[in-house]
Amino acid sequence: MAAPLVLVVLAAVTVRAALYRSSLAAFIAERVEVASPLNAWKRVVEGLALLDLGVSPYSGAIFHETPLIIYLFHFLIEYAELVFMITDVLTAVALYLAIQDFNKVVFKKQKLLIELDKYAPDVAELIQTPMEMHYIPLKVALFYLLNPYTVMSCVAKSTCAINNSVIAFFILATIKGSAFLSAVFLALATYQSLYPLTLFAPALLYLLQRQFIPIKLKSKSFWLYTMQYASLYLCSLVVIICLSFFLLNSWDFIPSVYGFILSVPDLTPNIGLFWYFFAEMFEHFSLFFVCVFQINVFFYTIPLAIKLKEHPVFFMFVQIAIISIFKSYPTVGDVALYMAFLPVWSHLYRFLRNIFILSCVLIFCSFLFPVLWHLWIYAGSANSNFYYAITLTFNIGQILLISDYFYAFLRREYYLTHGLHLTRQDGTEAMLVLK
Amino acid sequence: VCTSRFWFNYRHVANTLSVYRSVKRLGIPDSHIVLMLADDMACNPRNPKPATVFSHKNMELNVYGDDVEVDYRSYEVTVENFLRVLTGRIPPSTPRSKRLLSDDRSNILIYMTGHGGNGFLKFQDSEEITNVELADAFEQMWQKRRYNELLFIIDTCQGASMYERFYSPNIMALASSQVGEDSLSHQPDLGIGVHLMDRYTFYVLEFLEEIHPASQTNMNDLFQVCPKSLCVSTPGHRTDLFQRDPQNVLITDFFGSVRKVEITTETISLDRNVAAFESKFPEEEFATEPLKYAEQLPVAQIIHQKPKQKDWHPPGGFILGLWALIIMVFFKTYGIKHMKHVF
Repeated sequence: MAAPLVLVVLAAVTVRAALYRSSLAAFIAERVEVASPLNAWKRVVEGLALLDLGVSPYSGAIFHETPLIIYLFHFLIEYAELVFMITDVLTAVALYLAIQDFNKVVFKKQKLLIELDKYAPDVAELIQTPMEMHYIPLKVALFYLLNPYTVMSCVAKSTCAINNSVIAFFILATIKGSAFLSAVFLALATYQSLYPLTLFAPALLYLLQRQFIPIKLKSKSFWLYTMQYASLYLCSLVVIICLSFFLLNSWDFIPSVYGFILSVPDLTPNIGLFWYFFAEMFEHFSLFFVCVFQINVFFYTIPLAIKLKEHPVFFMFVQIAIISIFKSYPTVGDVALYMAFLPVWSHLYRFLRNIFILSCVLIFCSFLFPVLWHLWIYAGSANSNFYYAITLTFNIGQILLISDYFYAFLRREYYLTHGLHLTRQDGTEAMLVLK
Repeated sequence: VCTSRFWFNYRHVANTLSVYRSVKRLGIPDSHIVLMLADDMACNPRNPKPATVFSHKNMELNVYGDDVEVDYRSYEVTVENFLRVLTGRIPPSTPRSKRLLSDDRSNILIYMTGHGGNGFLKFQDSEEITNVELADAFEQMWQKRRYNELLFIIDTCQGASMYERFYSPNIMALASSQVGEDSLSHQPDLGIGVHLMDRYTFYVLEFLEEIHPASQTNMNDLFQVCPKSLCVSTPGHRTDLFQRDPQNVLITDFFGSVRKVEITTETISLDRNVAAFESKFPEEEFATEPLKYAEQLPVAQIIHQKPKQKDWHPPGGFILGLWALIIMVFFKTYGIKHMKHVF
């Protein structure tokens, strides 16, 4: 499988290099859907320039990156394009290896359940075969590398790519089973943008499953392992934060990075839901609504953990999707990360109900974003409501996509244990409904 | 300052503009004049002769010319703005043309017209300025050294009440009528349909038309303008706060911008003066030879000295700590046994 992967990587690198040299690079770098105040390249350059002038980059509201990014780019700023291309390649390779291992795990689990006779007799067509699963890792890498969202994000040199890469390594470490590495990478991801904190739950569930520790609230080994993992995670987070203190000898970065993410002061339009609400809200209520919106991101973790505790990797996928929809400054780079996972659930295709409409919605919205932006800002014949409508539609499309996959997944699980042809008590055909 | 709105108060705008015109004619530039008009008569839709404001019947004199610069117009003419202009307590964003940039050598003329009563002057039909406020404003100006001498002229009904409360030095005040009397308007113009001027200002304007920058007319003559026979009201004046004798105060001290110029017939050579100046101080040790200006600063040194590019580097401790952590993670994951392969 290495050769096709290398081919895909080469193609991706060529596309990116070609775009870097073309005139589109400057245009894409300014697009507000690709570069948010958190991860725009312009701001990284500005922060490093301020540092050269002897001023802390966190004074003023321009720079919201973490000190480790400062350190990374201080030496690599001339090779920025190479850095981003390599980051994308690393992400794709990490996802490839992770999904390869995951497939093995899935297959093993499936075999176990078949031998234990947990499956109904007529579900032969639902069972995943190694043949069809063989190309999934390659498709994942392909989906990530050649996704137009990823390409645009890379050409714009948005540090979202670095965040994606860290999350991809975290997923790789989790699936390989190394609690220590996964805690370290999760700490790095949380340190950079706060929201991967919610990925703690699926990672924990997966590692528990791997260690064959049953998830019962009264079980002592469950709590022991949870404590171990949580302490690894928290210790690495604290160590990284303390280390970043020593870069500039100040704690300025904490309000600039985390305060900024949580309190959403900058209301530049992006593809998210925060900016419009807070632009028209009275000051009096803004604290309340900031809390409500931020809780919304973290809120789905516990219910999903309860429902999806047998399927932590799907949980991780849904969680990443929720982060990229509800985070305070989403960009298309975040969307690209969870879209890379879609080939893994391609066996759910027969249960997806709205996939045609949703893909149309997503594609059309992606094309309408620049059109309505132009109409609003340059032609002056539209206003922010138009752009917000497209943002809303795009996010609704994403949410419906996730819920569609969620429904399809649960439906398949139900069919696996109860058989494909469901009958009610009186023998007529039954329909499965997600309540 | 004209404080009245509405078309039928045309005469107040005409009053103010005529005084403005005289003052400009006598040499005071627009930068030294703050003109406040509460309504626009020249472009008023009821003006049958648009873009003109006449001060004399039969349209003899258009006081709204091409170079009228109104600083505070329409609703900007408020008591607050007026007091702010006087006292100088103005927001920093105010342009220079709207400020009274006077200092302690400035002679200030203040002319106000509008509708007034016993102790107050009405602004814009909605607020008043009282004589107490005005007196306090002048005291603030005195304490801030914003004037050397101040001439205050007011043409309203019961105008003398406005200067009753002044208590700051160097103020001379004139009013068109005493307390209990009304100031009357001069003549209506049947073509325009309103009264064009007030009597007191009309006669003051006639008086001022004869003044030129070199005239020696003094304040006592101004006090005689508009006797009761012509004005129907009794003009009043107050000079007790003024330190000079009004006899010695020239009209052009306030109304005109007159400089004292001395013309000399002898020529002075500048070169010899410089040499003479230098030879007067041979004993001073500053310079043994005359320095050219450019040589007084080490300019060559300053120009060629490039600013030292102090590049920022991450502190050593940080780099050490980071790489130590990375190596620790690496070995924890992969085990110590790889160490001998790495090294």
